[in-house]
Amino acid sequence: MNEAIRTEGLTKDYGLGRGLFDLDLEVRSGEVFGYLGPNGAGKTTTIRQLMGLAYPTRGSASVFGLDCHRQAVEVKRHVGYVPGEPPQFGGLRGREVIAYLGAMAGGVDPARVKSLCGRLQLDLSRRYREYSSGNKKKLLLVIAFMHRPELLILDEPTSGLDPLNQQEFYAMVREARQGGATVFLSSHVLSEVEHVCDRVGIIRTGRLVNISSMEQLHEIRVHRVEIEFAGDVPAEAIRRADGVDGVTVENHRVQCVVRGSFEPLMAAVARAHVVNLTSHEPSLEDTFLEYYSDPGKEEVAAAC
Amino acid sequence: MLRNAFRLHRWGWIGYGVVLFASTYVQAGAFVQVAGTTAAGRAAFARSMTALAGQLSYILPRPFRLDTLDGYVQWRSYGPLALVVMIWAIAAAAGAVRGDEDKQLVDYWLAARVSRARLVASRLAAFGLAALLAAVLGVLGYLAGAAQYESVNLGGAAGKMLTLWLLMLTLFALCYLVAQFIASIRGAQAAGTAVVVVLYLLAVLGRTNHSFDGLSWVSPFTWYDATTVLAPGGSLDAAGVGLSVAVIALAGVLSVLAFARRDVRGPLFAFPQREVAAKEAAPSPLLGWPVARLLYRQRGIVAGWALITAAMAVYMVAIAHSVVDSAINLPGMREFLTHSSGGDPYRGFIAAFWFGIAQLLLAGFAVHLVSGWAADDTEGILTSVLSMPVHRWAVIGERAATALVGTAFVVAIGSLAAAGMAAGVGTTLDAAAVFRASWLLVPFVLTYSAVGAAVSADFPRAAVGLLGVLAFCSFLVYELAPLMKWPAWAANLSVQQLYGTPFLTGVFWNGLWGMLAVVVVGFGLATLLMQRREVGQ
Repeated sequence: MNEAIRTEGLTKDYGLGRGLFDLDLEVRSGEVFGYLGPNGAGKTTTIRQLMGLAYPTRGSASVFGLDCHRQAVEVKRHVGYVPGEPPQFGGLRGREVIAYLGAMAGGVDPARVKSLCGRLQLDLSRRYREYSSGNKKKLLLVIAFMHRPELLILDEPTSGLDPLNQQEFYAMVREARQGGATVFLSSHVLSEVEHVCDRVGIIRTGRLVNISSMEQLHEIRVHRVEIEFAGDVPAEAIRRADGVDGVTVENHRVQCVVRGSFEPLMAAVARAHVVNLTSHEPSLEDTFLEYYSDPGKEEVAAAC
Repeated sequence: MLRNAFRLHRWGWIGYGVVLFASTYVQAGAFVQVAGTTAAGRAAFARSMTALAGQLSYILPRPFRLDTLDGYVQWRSYGPLALVVMIWAIAAAAGAVRGDEDKQLVDYWLAARVSRARLVASRLAAFGLAALLAAVLGVLGYLAGAAQYESVNLGGAAGKMLTLWLLMLTLFALCYLVAQFIASIRGAQAAGTAVVVVLYLLAVLGRTNHSFDGLSWVSPFTWYDATTVLAPGGSLDAAGVGLSVAVIALAGVLSVLAFARRDVRGPLFAFPQREVAAKEAAPSPLLGWPVARLLYRQRGIVAGWALITAAMAVYMVAIAHSVVDSAINLPGMREFLTHSSGGDPYRGFIAAFWFGIAQLLLAGFAVHLVSGWAADDTEGILTSVLSMPVHRWAVIGERAATALVGTAFVVAIGSLAAAGMAAGVGTTLDAAAVFRASWLLVPFVLTYSAVGAAVSADFPRAAVGLLGVLAFCSFLVYELAPLMKWPAWAANLSVQQLYGTPFLTGVFWNGLWGMLAVVVVGFGLATLLMQRREVGQ
């Protein structure tokens, strides 16, 4: 089986234009697939369909050739899942939650659990209600990874994690891929999927608008850059640089928007004395607005 | 702020208002049915009830003018209502402090520049308003019930309503203050319950023995009992009213001070955590087995209700001799206790009181079990379970099996406690009858559980409320059907009626089949609904 996930015309219509519409998607076995979209785009709705937690209005979804609804239990034998919203296990200790769900999953190696907890610095002796949101997320990651599933379905898995643990999570994802697992990872942060994903599907207002390789994704990527110079500002060179727009100059400070590579901008300022340079990644929604404001670019995206 | 806070109590005041209305209405109507219309009949009734009252002081206040409708309503309805509203006050206060914080509503309000003092004042005022509406419904029930038979005492009813309202608000304010000390909502509920139960027991001491009067005067329940203004010749206890107002104000001020000195979602006094050996213990092996794992997660509920049931069984058996001996010479009571019991008043007492109370307790147990299942759904645990290779029908099957095993355990503990106490005090119980009446409590609880499972499978947020209403209506039908001479089919809508009186009259087979039918249909429907529904929204 070459496809880990396949959806055909998958639709969940909540009315008033909300939901998921006509999703055709293939995720190949062994790849890390990023599912990118702003809040409310339909990422969680898609994942809930894949997990058999919600039913489609029409269309179908399958995992390793198994129907996500008719064969939901079989599907879950192959899947590790992190929900977007952490559950509330109240007074159960972390290890009790692991024991409770681990018995249902089956095939959990205690050494594997210990190793994952060590990597994520998670104390399983504490009660669930005492966990911070980050620690709750770590426990959910341990639960998803503990039985070495063939497919990991992760709904915004890094939200609440500190940068160190995010890095550890990325390492765990890479290891899972090296071990032959497939990862389906939703996020609303463009830079996050760049860390680990092979391909990215972009969803907006319930519709898949683009599936890109990481190289193609760089075309979409936008940064707001602010550069402070010690002396004169090479304004004309910056304006002429490829992929640089919206240049404004104020005293010794320049603000601009960079699409794609930073190289043309770096070349333009190479001879000037740069005192400070800051770069911000705008929200995904802003990135989309920037990118899709040009109809020509939308055609490019559709052709990807 | 006040409007938002009041909105959070809307189901509370509606639900408890209905209970208050029904209670006063039913007891006002019942008085004429049980005491008759002649002065002599009512005097005899009052004597028999007064003799009984001493033994039931744990639930009823001292009797006053039980030969009148107003006195009877005050004793029989407003008396036990103190226990009913106590539950509301405890739950509402813990929810208002810790529930709101868990839902991050407090963060939102504080961020919107609502001061902590204003927040506390708003929560007290909102509950006060909700409690007032419920209390008004109680008065309306009395007026509607009593007006059918005799003239009503409007001023007295208003006075009793005032004290009931103050009792609710006092208990709420005290529990609100207690909740400042405990970080979790369940801990706040437990601590609030402990404080209120101690205060209640102090009032009970005062009811049973005048030498405890001084001690019992610290209890708001005593202040409440002291007002007898509804009955002819009764009075409004100004000291009790004043003390209630003072305690509400003091608890409110202390709550403001405590809230100002603690973190949101933190206790008032936080101590560094200590490492204890138990924290390192391996998880229970029960968590690895179907049914056992759900029982383990609901072990607090099962153990708590087993303890309550056992304690009540011991108490009822312990007082059986003294109650029967003091009441048997009263004609009304003799007939009451020997009717259908083959002339044995002890059997009659056990049947009427112990197994009657056991049904109430176990209906509460069923509601509590179902509340756990509903919480699993709303708190995302069901989503976690269904993300594992677990069939949806297995979830319902596990709930049914948990209810079966848990109920059998609670009933067995209760029956063993009753049997042990009976042997201790030398009361001879009919073992076969006790066994029969006990095991029939299992389908009784499963009937409620099945309805709860069906509702919680599709409407988890409504499950506890709807099941509570069902239990209440079931008891209401059971009480009203003989009084109102309703047909058998209407009476059989009550689960209590389906349970019958197995201790005295053997198994009511049609009732048993009826309960089993509800169990099968309820859990079957729950399976279908669970199979079709979406999870995790």
